[in-house]
Amino acid sequence: RREGKQPQRRARREAERAGGGRGMFVARSIAADHRDLIHDVSFDFHGRRMATCSSDQSVKVWDKSENGDWHCTASWKTHSGSVWRVTWAHPEFGQVLASCSFDRTAVVWEEIVGESNDKLRGQSHWVKRTTLVDSRTSVTDVKFAPKHMGLMLATCSADGVVRIYEAPDVMNLSQWSLQHEISCKLSCSCISWNPSSSRAHSPMIAVGSDDNSPNILAKVQIYEYNENTRKYAKAETLMTVTDPVHDIAFAPNLGRSFHILAVATKDVRIFTLKPIRKELTSSGGLTKFEIQIVAQFDNHNSQVWRVSWNITGTVLASSGDDGCVRLWKANYMDNWKCTGILKGNGSPVNGSSQQGMFNASLGSANTSLQNSLNGSAAGRKQS
Amino acid sequence: MEKMARVTTALGGNTITGRTMFCHLDAPANAISVCRDAAQVVVAGRNIFKIYSIDEDQFVEKLNLRVGRKPSLNFSCADVVWHQMDENLLATAATNGVVVTWNLGKPSRNKQDQLFTEHKRTVNKVCFHPTEVYMLLSGSQDGYMKCFDLRKKDSVSTFSGQSESVRDVQFSIRDYFTFAATFENGNVQLWDIRRPDRYERMFTAHNGPVFCCDWHLEDRYVFRFDIRRFFLRIAKYWNRLPRELVESLSLEKLYIAAGPLPTDTTGEGRCMSCLMLSAWALNYAPETSFLMLLPWLTDSGNNLTLPLLPSFSPWGQVAQTWTMLRIIYSSPGTVPSANLNHSLGKGSTSLPLMNSFNLKDIPPGIGNESRLERSKGESRSENILMDSSSTLINNDENEETEGSDVPADYLLGDVEGDEDELYMMDHENPHAEEQEYILPQEAFPLRHEIVDNPSALDHLQEKADSPHVSGNEAETVSLTPVESFSLISISHSLYENRLPTDFFNPIVRDMLLFYAEQGDVQMAVSVLIVLGDRIRKEIDEQTQEHWYTSYIDLLQRFQLWNISNEVIKLSTCRAINCLNQASTTLHINCSNCKRPMSNKGWICDRCRQCASMCAVCHHVVKGLFVWCQGCSHGGHLQHIMKWLETSSHCPAGCGHLCEYT
Repeated sequence: RREGKQPQRRARREAERAGGGRGMFVARSIAADHRDLIHDVSFDFHGRRMATCSSDQSVKVWDKSENGDWHCTASWKTHSGSVWRVTWAHPEFGQVLASCSFDRTAVVWEEIVGESNDKLRGQSHWVKRTTLVDSRTSVTDVKFAPKHMGLMLATCSADGVVRIYEAPDVMNLSQWSLQHEISCKLSCSCISWNPSSSRAHSPMIAVGSDDNSPNILAKVQIYEYNENTRKYAKAETLMTVTDPVHDIAFAPNLGRSFHILAVATKDVRIFTLKPIRKELTSSGGLTKFEIQIVAQFDNHNSQVWRVSWNITGTVLASSGDDGCVRLWKANYMDNWKCTGILKGNGSPVNGSSQQGMFNASLGSANTSLQNSLNGSAAGRKQS
Repeated sequence: MEKMARVTTALGGNTITGRTMFCHLDAPANAISVCRDAAQVVVAGRNIFKIYSIDEDQFVEKLNLRVGRKPSLNFSCADVVWHQMDENLLATAATNGVVVTWNLGKPSRNKQDQLFTEHKRTVNKVCFHPTEVYMLLSGSQDGYMKCFDLRKKDSVSTFSGQSESVRDVQFSIRDYFTFAATFENGNVQLWDIRRPDRYERMFTAHNGPVFCCDWHLEDRYVFRFDIRRFFLRIAKYWNRLPRELVESLSLEKLYIAAGPLPTDTTGEGRCMSCLMLSAWALNYAPETSFLMLLPWLTDSGNNLTLPLLPSFSPWGQVAQTWTMLRIIYSSPGTVPSANLNHSLGKGSTSLPLMNSFNLKDIPPGIGNESRLERSKGESRSENILMDSSSTLINNDENEETEGSDVPADYLLGDVEGDEDELYMMDHENPHAEEQEYILPQEAFPLRHEIVDNPSALDHLQEKADSPHVSGNEAETVSLTPVESFSLISISHSLYENRLPTDFFNPIVRDMLLFYAEQGDVQMAVSVLIVLGDRIRKEIDEQTQEHWYTSYIDLLQRFQLWNISNEVIKLSTCRAINCLNQASTTLHINCSNCKRPMSNKGWICDRCRQCASMCAVCHHVVKGLFVWCQGCSHGGHLQHIMKWLETSSHCPAGCGHLCEYT
């Protein structure tokens, strides 16, 4: 079943930094063995596990072994339609996955450990804990809220509704209550929670739309939770983004006072949202933001499908229809520049200099690249 | 790798204090170079050409390459470089204009391999290509640079700078085809090896000779050095850079790690002291990073060809920040005194000072912190290892420097305007420079009281007044390991006037905010922890909490649980402190009688035995205790892990097949 809206992304490639080697990247391909297009890849909190979902209606879970190889430890049919997105909850809540699908549902899964079955040695068992059936159209994205907010989940659907669920008892994953329904009046394609754990920052969610009707302009809306009304209200609209948006991602906050938002549309855009200090009188009202576009790149020369940040929010990875993953980093003057290009098959583009910059910019944290490619590793490749 | 580890531990010395190795050279040396695994170092000079191995606690002479009854001028080296890919390959630049390669794999005593007699005057510099084994580049006094292919007899290409004598050539680390050359007239040229006809780009870097340059580790652009200026003032030379170059340099990369440079580079001075910060260590083997200190003597004619090895450290900015913080907070408020610059620049510091504040003075609480810092990410911990072996200066050397003249107005470039003046304080003393590498330890002594030490000051001034030191003395390099001294002592003696410490608080606050906005929350949190109450009131609670939670989240992402717990413990925020106060109850069985423990603590109230004995070593476990939930036996994490490698049965001998997850 191909729904056409989603790109045909078949090959998923993962680039890994080769341990120790000076500035060499090794791309390994994993025979994912999905029988249809892979739509999403997601790393867990620590970067040790990975989940993939596909139009073959299944989700696979991969575990990284000591030597860096990825092994499929679970593969099961999750939905009765294409699975658009899969995402991990914070490990504090257990090994929990959520997936959403064209079949109009989002499902929460939990891994069961301790039951060793000879037949399934090396295979873990994932149990469906709940099915969220509120949407009347395809559920296009699902994301767990940042850990400090508790066990919360946001979904968005093609009919333009963002739903926020909460599991009041974190031990009981089968009970989820619908807390908020936000009507965006636009067919939603992607959502992103603001990861900031600061008390100064209210919970915030950005919604992107891939609606391609010409009369609706702004495709990115930002909703903020209002303590007083206990509701999410629209805080900002990014008026400059008028083309269909395929992915949206807040950068990990890491102590910054402002927020960085990456948007994948026909190009890659990076916005900063600086909260303007609320006056004491109006505290409790919505935060005003000073929004700036700090970068806009059309290097992909085509639709950009995914954007993803590294864990420090300093490197952005984007994947586009040109079959490349591109990496972006800001210099000290806040000029964002391309620091690396990887082809869909994992090979670097343009020789050593680009690559050199790329390596250098990633710093020493091995996992940063992994995470930066989280979900965006989909170079488009027809085969 | 194994060797590296060995070196590291060797240099780690006794616990915290590192050890410095010195070695007496028979003759003045012009250059050193370290082999790939940092196990050996080659020393070359006019009358010396030897290989030393870097042993546990000393340099051991391995090989004297100056063989033959009547050594030719080919042995008189202006520069030496050890190939970073081929262990057996060395190249030297001879003062008679010959470039010589040496093959250590030769069975004969004479290891000389190839001779390239193409330059007409002294060859100042040789440089191997970082990735191409057979490519060698030389720069000569005659103004030419030549590229040799070691498989051929002659040079492959000749580059004419058409300006003046070439002082340094350096292949780019990043760009395969690019190299940089510096000239005596202050120019720097960038060349493409494929195009010998003309340079790609040229700019004037300094007014005087540019003796040395190095490529940035991360960026593709070059920095230059002028040792006469001592330090390079970035801000100044930025103005001269092509605009696109300036924009490409990012803030965190702006750092020069060249050690304190020779204090005399012109004219008469015969004695010269050059503290060699072994840039190679940072460049090529972070695991073995330590500072190497070699006093250099050069004769008057050739004293400009010091083999400086400037380099860039990605951690430099952070390290500098720590240095500054230490200066600000460790002594009760400081203001630089202009007069003392001079004497300090020359006299450096002296042993009594070192002794007054060596690291043994660190209060007990520090241990935790060092552990904490130690494991902050691999790269950084490496840095720390290096720190612990930081090197120090000893008396002899300081005396050498005294004949030299220190320009009073040398300037240090720093990229953060606010910190500029502090930074200068820091660098007024050349030795501060090497302290920059001491990332975590710099922070430690902040927590202990600084004792006034006027006698040290006197001593210092005294020394400054007696500038003449015999060459012999200077040549006699101390062989004794020197205890670490901390910068505190220097800064302390440096300043007479005092400002209240919180004078600097706004600057420090701005700096923390700066780091936080850059996403470097680790820096912000580390400084918060180290400075504690000194800075806490400057930053609102909410922001601090935000930093802590972000940092803890990051640590947990890397599964650094112990460290994140340390951070929680050390934090001064109430909201953070209580993070590890929830669910702290364990329900355990006594390992002895197998019944549930009811008492608090680890003493079973039934059998009166301690329940937390290690089943392997039979000692009480303090710290990480791991036990099997089936049979209640357990022990030290390390012991149990080791045990389980060989056996899956319980080490207590109860016959249980223990299961650990």
